[in-house]
Amino acid sequence: MLAGSLTLPVITSCSDFLDEKLTTDQNTEYFDTDEGVESLMTGIYYNLRYHFAFEWGFSTTNYGTDEFIVGGDGSNAMWNSYISSLSSDIPVVNINTTHAYDVWDNMYAGIATANTLIKKCETYTGSKKNEALGTAHFIRGFNYFKLLRQYGGVPIKLEPSTSVELEFTRATSQEVMDQVIADLLEAYAKLPETESVEGKLTQSAAAHFLAKAYLWRASEINDSWNASTQSADLDNVIKYASEVITDHPLATNFHELWAYTTPDGSNEKLSEVVLAAQFTSADATQGKYGNPQHLYFLNIYRDLPGMARDISGGREYQRLRTSYYTYNVFNHLNDSRLWKSFRTKFNCTKASTTGTNDTYVAGDRGLMFILNQPGDNRFAEIWNKESVKDAETGKLVPTTFAIYPSGSNETSNPMEGDTYLKYYAPLSKYMDGSRKTVSQEQGYRDGILARSAEDYLFIAEAYIRKGEYTEALKYITPLRTRAQWKAGEDRANYIDGGGAWNENALGWSVYTAVAGKGTYCNRNSYYESNNVAAGTLNSQASVLTVTDITSIANLPAEDRSVCEKLGVSSAYDVAMCFLLNEKTREMCGEFVRWEDLARTQTLVKRAKAFNKDAAPNIQSYHSLRPIPQTYLDIIQKEGKALTADEKKAQQNPGY
Amino acid sequence: MAFTLFLFISSFVFVLHAQQRTIRGSVVDERSEPMIGATVMVNGTQNGTITDMDGNFTIQAQTGDVLRVFYVGYTESLVTIDGKSEKKIILKENTEMIDEVVVVGYGTQKKSDVTGAMVSIGDKELSARPVSNAFEAMQGKAAGVDIRTSDRPGEMGDVFIRGTRSLTASSSPLYVVDGVPLNGTVGKTPEEDLNGLSNSRGGVLESLNPSDIESVEILKDASATAIYGSRGANGVVLITTKKGKDGRFTVNYSGSVSIDEIKDRTTWMSAGEYLEWRRWAYYYRDSSVYPRGDQPTQANDKAIFNGDNDPYAWKNIMKGWSGGTWDGSKVSTTDWTKYVTQTGITTEHTVSGSGGNEKNQSYVSFGWLNNKGTIKGQDYNRYTAKVSNDLKLTNWLSLGATVNATYSIQNYGMSNDGGTTSGPNSAYAAATRNLVYAVPYDDEGNRIEYPGADSKIKTVVDEWQYSKDERKVFRALGSFYAQFNLGKIWKPLEGLSYKVNFGPDFRYYRRGMFNDAESVNREGVNYASLTKSTDFSWTLDNLLYYNKSIGKHDFGFTLLQTATQYEYESNYMAAEGIPLSSSLWNALSTTNISALKSWDSSLTEKQLLSYMGRINYTYNGRYMLTASVRRDGASQLAEGYKWSTFPSVALGWRIDQEEFLKELPWISQLKLRLGYGVTGNSAIAPYSTKGAIASLFYPFGSSPTAGYVGYESQLADGAITLANQKLGWEKTKQWNLGLDFGFLNGRVSGIFDIYTSHTSDLLMLQSIPSLTGYMATYNNIGETKNFGYDLTLNLVPIKTRDLEWNIGLNAAYTKNEIVSLANGKQDDISNGWFIGESVNVIYDYESAGIWKEEDAAEMAKFNANGHNFQVGMSRPADQNDDYKIDANDDRKIIGHTDPRWTLGIGSNITYKGWELGIQLYGRMDYTYNTGGVWVGGRYNVRSYDYYNENNKNAEYQKPIFDEGGKDAYYYVLGFKNGSYLKIRNISLGYTFPGKMLKGTGLSNLKLYAQCKNPGMVFSHIDFIDMDTYSNTYNSGLTFGLNVTF
Repeated sequence: MLAGSLTLPVITSCSDFLDEKLTTDQNTEYFDTDEGVESLMTGIYYNLRYHFAFEWGFSTTNYGTDEFIVGGDGSNAMWNSYISSLSSDIPVVNINTTHAYDVWDNMYAGIATANTLIKKCETYTGSKKNEALGTAHFIRGFNYFKLLRQYGGVPIKLEPSTSVELEFTRATSQEVMDQVIADLLEAYAKLPETESVEGKLTQSAAAHFLAKAYLWRASEINDSWNASTQSADLDNVIKYASEVITDHPLATNFHELWAYTTPDGSNEKLSEVVLAAQFTSADATQGKYGNPQHLYFLNIYRDLPGMARDISGGREYQRLRTSYYTYNVFNHLNDSRLWKSFRTKFNCTKASTTGTNDTYVAGDRGLMFILNQPGDNRFAEIWNKESVKDAETGKLVPTTFAIYPSGSNETSNPMEGDTYLKYYAPLSKYMDGSRKTVSQEQGYRDGILARSAEDYLFIAEAYIRKGEYTEALKYITPLRTRAQWKAGEDRANYIDGGGAWNENALGWSVYTAVAGKGTYCNRNSYYESNNVAAGTLNSQASVLTVTDITSIANLPAEDRSVCEKLGVSSAYDVAMCFLLNEKTREMCGEFVRWEDLARTQTLVKRAKAFNKDAAPNIQSYHSLRPIPQTYLDIIQKEGKALTADEKKAQQNPGY
Repeated sequence: MAFTLFLFISSFVFVLHAQQRTIRGSVVDERSEPMIGATVMVNGTQNGTITDMDGNFTIQAQTGDVLRVFYVGYTESLVTIDGKSEKKIILKENTEMIDEVVVVGYGTQKKSDVTGAMVSIGDKELSARPVSNAFEAMQGKAAGVDIRTSDRPGEMGDVFIRGTRSLTASSSPLYVVDGVPLNGTVGKTPEEDLNGLSNSRGGVLESLNPSDIESVEILKDASATAIYGSRGANGVVLITTKKGKDGRFTVNYSGSVSIDEIKDRTTWMSAGEYLEWRRWAYYYRDSSVYPRGDQPTQANDKAIFNGDNDPYAWKNIMKGWSGGTWDGSKVSTTDWTKYVTQTGITTEHTVSGSGGNEKNQSYVSFGWLNNKGTIKGQDYNRYTAKVSNDLKLTNWLSLGATVNATYSIQNYGMSNDGGTTSGPNSAYAAATRNLVYAVPYDDEGNRIEYPGADSKIKTVVDEWQYSKDERKVFRALGSFYAQFNLGKIWKPLEGLSYKVNFGPDFRYYRRGMFNDAESVNREGVNYASLTKSTDFSWTLDNLLYYNKSIGKHDFGFTLLQTATQYEYESNYMAAEGIPLSSSLWNALSTTNISALKSWDSSLTEKQLLSYMGRINYTYNGRYMLTASVRRDGASQLAEGYKWSTFPSVALGWRIDQEEFLKELPWISQLKLRLGYGVTGNSAIAPYSTKGAIASLFYPFGSSPTAGYVGYESQLADGAITLANQKLGWEKTKQWNLGLDFGFLNGRVSGIFDIYTSHTSDLLMLQSIPSLTGYMATYNNIGETKNFGYDLTLNLVPIKTRDLEWNIGLNAAYTKNEIVSLANGKQDDISNGWFIGESVNVIYDYESAGIWKEEDAAEMAKFNANGHNFQVGMSRPADQNDDYKIDANDDRKIIGHTDPRWTLGIGSNITYKGWELGIQLYGRMDYTYNTGGVWVGGRYNVRSYDYYNENNKNAEYQKPIFDEGGKDAYYYVLGFKNGSYLKIRNISLGYTFPGKMLKGTGLSNLKLYAQCKNPGMVFSHIDFIDMDTYSNTYNSGLTFGLNVTF
């Protein structure tokens, strides 16, 4: 008995007992299998969503430009104003602040995944090898290109890491550019011509970014070293972008792109869309952020009479205030894109609101923005309380903001004063009424990374750079033609993603019970703003024709005004100015602006002219971002941490 | 309790049936005071009794029998029965208290033979004041043991023994209850256990009833903790629960009631002050638009205080304008905290019965703690039950079992789960965000949802009804043993015994959380989640003991083989839009919810296998040697790195036993100890060497497609570390030199220990360049060293028959320093680690105050270099005088954040039955980051000294209403000296003298009152309680009662 009790409880076989069995998850060895390689090829797509996740996207691409200034919330104001805290180690204002390292770290994470995928393809035996390699090279090239656009030359790493590596040094812009083009060419060669399912990478996606990369190399920012490649590059821009245009015809009506009515609806399947980061309503796909871009462009409406925040109106983060440049760069009468990109009418949501002159119920107009012209003396105030009639309902609107009240002129930008910072007609391209709740940050809309309209502009710019202005105009005209009002088109009709708040939406049941109706209003203030009797122009088509883009005198008034303000005069400068204006009209707020201005070295001029926050601070060195301090602090040189001087040598000048 | 009384009575019946001569007697102490409750037994029989209120006893005995008379704390007396029938027995106080037996790892030892550094805290100290967990009682009483405070009902603060030595691994000590080392009890919740590598809370102690604890021994130095090998580096806390005692049957009741109020060290601005402050904030945003803070206009007020949108708040502001000119004192200030606070009431009852004879000893107890927190919605109910039984079946076999069971229900209070990321995490914090000038109710008496019409500031009124977070825990800890005295079976094996010890530990955890649509952190739709988990672990020890004395040589050998297994499984679900609010988390079914928001289940297992051998050798009662070696193998390490060895050796010299000192009567005790040991820190999470990957779903179109990547920051679980197959234990080598002393007949006594330790193979969560595809990896690199000393000093300045004054002082100094890092003597700025500096430091810009008008010329030079400084803004110091604030040149080490000194002072005066005590506690010499005062100008703010046109010599920068914060360096004004000394409690007790209790049936009755947290002696930061690390703390009164029958 004694012997039994001695031996019985003793654990004898130690080798078994200490085995660690992970049964609930895969580990890195999974990537050595064919199935694992294919799952990695899916997983790597997630990195594409980075450009829409959180506040990183707009703070590094839309802020600090002519198109937007900071609205009522300045969590990322340093990215717009270029104050000294826009440094290698940005002092955090709050959890929303974009750090100097956010783009850096996330692009390298994608590059590391691509490196792993390329490596694992060496032993992969399945049928998707080309697709896997094409995908990996695309992501690697795409991410290095993003790093280049933000930081200039960055360290190049092409092998996966299995242990800690600390010795890195920056490559030149030229070397990174070569790597980008090499990877994208490889992707172009390997990727399938058409997508098997929505959202997959295709040869066209590679072609689009190849065109963009060649154009980048040929641009002013690389003037010191690009002379030998410039001419061939421009031809390549035309070659690759033309392929994209052929394969991806434009949507017929500009508003189709933004007419989001349900997750994965028809607007996300348009031929014009070359590549979009995919988002949908299934919770499992949300991650931490989903697509939160619906938050950031919105103005405050909830504290105005009759209004309350709702799903269709969105949660107003008021990060990006539409600038006067943006309002004015459109032809308000003839360019439909203004009215299809910005929201000007809001409905009341409160069941009943008693005003001074009238009582307002849900569904009545509650807020209107008048996008008028300087010299218009119809409006006594910026903020007109129950004094302006809605042209269609005939009822006074509780709140009407006129961007040019009586007595103001073109240079006074009256609403950019502090009082009205949170009130503006917002960009509505990303609104998302399909969400479950008004506070939900994760949105479901796809994020467009490439659409063929931009390829028209790539080609136009390449021809401008070649001096072939007439040829250039041929590629601008299709976009302007599409922007014209068609005969019979209701010019006061309005669509945005708030319209996805309908009886099929996830959040419908919760909010119908509360308010009955949302702020979404399918009308715009076209007629009120242009001071034209309601509906009278609907039968006619509008004209946006431009015949010459080389002389200021021949430009439309809205472009002439910008050129004059910027003081450009040479044919090339005027044409480029026009092209950049056109890009605002076509692609305002589509996460390309800062990079386009930095590339063409027009950033400082335009920011000084049109961005009151940036004007006092911006300098030429701001065309590149600061190299993150976290990177400088962590890397080593010959086993030693860098000295302060060595770190400064790796930093971009000026920071 | 009735059952216990029955046992109690029946024991007398048992005594009475002997047919012998009646012996009467009395037992007194040296002062001739009668001793109540002393045990009198006829030696070698079951026959025994207990003295009554007058110290008298009667017992049946025969001439020649020997009476054994004993009482705790007194030397046993043996009296032979002669012809006399009356016996007066005097018991002498045992002054050699040092010879009590203390628990050490895997056994017990006479205190005089102990060679390691340890603190022992007995039942008496633990029950001196009412506490809900044992650590609360120990605060300030053990040198070198830093115990933090948590005021949330059912929560405990962190525990650090001799500071921190690890960079990223846990600093939590190992807890051993009745010989069973606990696994997975680091955190408050199982989730915290698994992901909280740096968590240090004393998770087990809050589930034990402090009244059931016999003693707590804290092993501090490595020579003592090395027998716990890979888990010994952060110290070991040995908890021994009560067992029945031979010969005495007692029933004890103790109860107390405490009344607590929440106190706030922060003074918040009144409505008038706040309104002016916010006007200044606007003025400094744009002085061309907004008037000065001291020159308000109604129009501006209406615009900046949202007058149009909250008419009730505006009406309140208009009170300030009622006289035509502004008078801020007329605006009423809403104290929002009163809507979330309440008087906290804690009642605690414990009934225990204990008793036994030579063959069988039992202890049973039942306790109930009911703690209503000082914040509405927070409460804690804990039911504890304990049963312990020890059976001596034969002279060679003993069996014993102890079960400690706890069931607790904690209402955690307001939860921000499923809410916005920046939402407040407690109702009190939410209340202090509510604007003081806004009012809670409209004219109809309905609560205003957004008082002040700021959509980020939702009302806290009734929040406790809308947010629920209920946590239920059932825990059972067992310890079962069988001991074979092999020497009794076969004579040649004399001194050899074998013990098998099995310790199961089961925990069930259930968390239900519901936030109504109306709650602070929700907007328009409710949210519920339900988490359930169980963890089960067991430890099986096989122990061989051999004790042998040869002449003056005493040997003790211990051999151990032990295995531990731990298993944790959990499941979780969460949903939004629950149709019926009253169903809370209890109806997340397919009939109610179309889809879950989130769900999860998990399984974690780990195993540990160990061998240990130890020798204790004493020569002539003067020279002691303890040496041990332990070998641990752990499942969570990779093959080839699983096993590690941890040796120790310690020497002791009882100098007071030497002939040359025996002549000196003023020395009552003097012992020198020297120890060395190697310990490990096992806080490596299971599977961390496996190279986890992140799973995700990417939606091509609308179809979610499964995929994997190595790292993806956009996923909640995607921030994966680079796998390191070579991960091993962090190892600490420690030297300890100690002196135990007692002089002047015990009037001055104490312990002094000095130690130095070296930790190598540091387990670090090391930041690595993102170019590798990961942001961090766990790695064993670098070294730290620790130096410190612990002093415990007990003074008895007055000791007379009626009056005694005790002073206890304990002070600990600890200083840690980084010796080397991943790349030798290279600083690692990105991780904030510097060679030769403390482990936890603040590395940042130094404050040079604020910019003043007279600095304008200097300021212009900075602004010429791209800065945007203005007069009144915070001013970081330009270390290299180049007029540019630059991360490469101007950051420096501001200070270390771990206190160098921890200090506890206690004083206790007893006069007859009265007892008056005071306890002080403090931490000194460290820097604390208070964060400065946020510049946004939007939320409520504490009353502070801010710059404005009338106060240009202010401590803090000017407010600027701007959520972006134009004043980027404001936080550098927030680095402060954290030192403080706090009065923990003042207590008064009265023990009724035996005579007064005569005829009541009681043998002991004590009443006491205690005042908790009455004040600070000093603190450098006046708006934070540095003990709770929060602006609030609880203060209150306790009344208690302790009765023994």
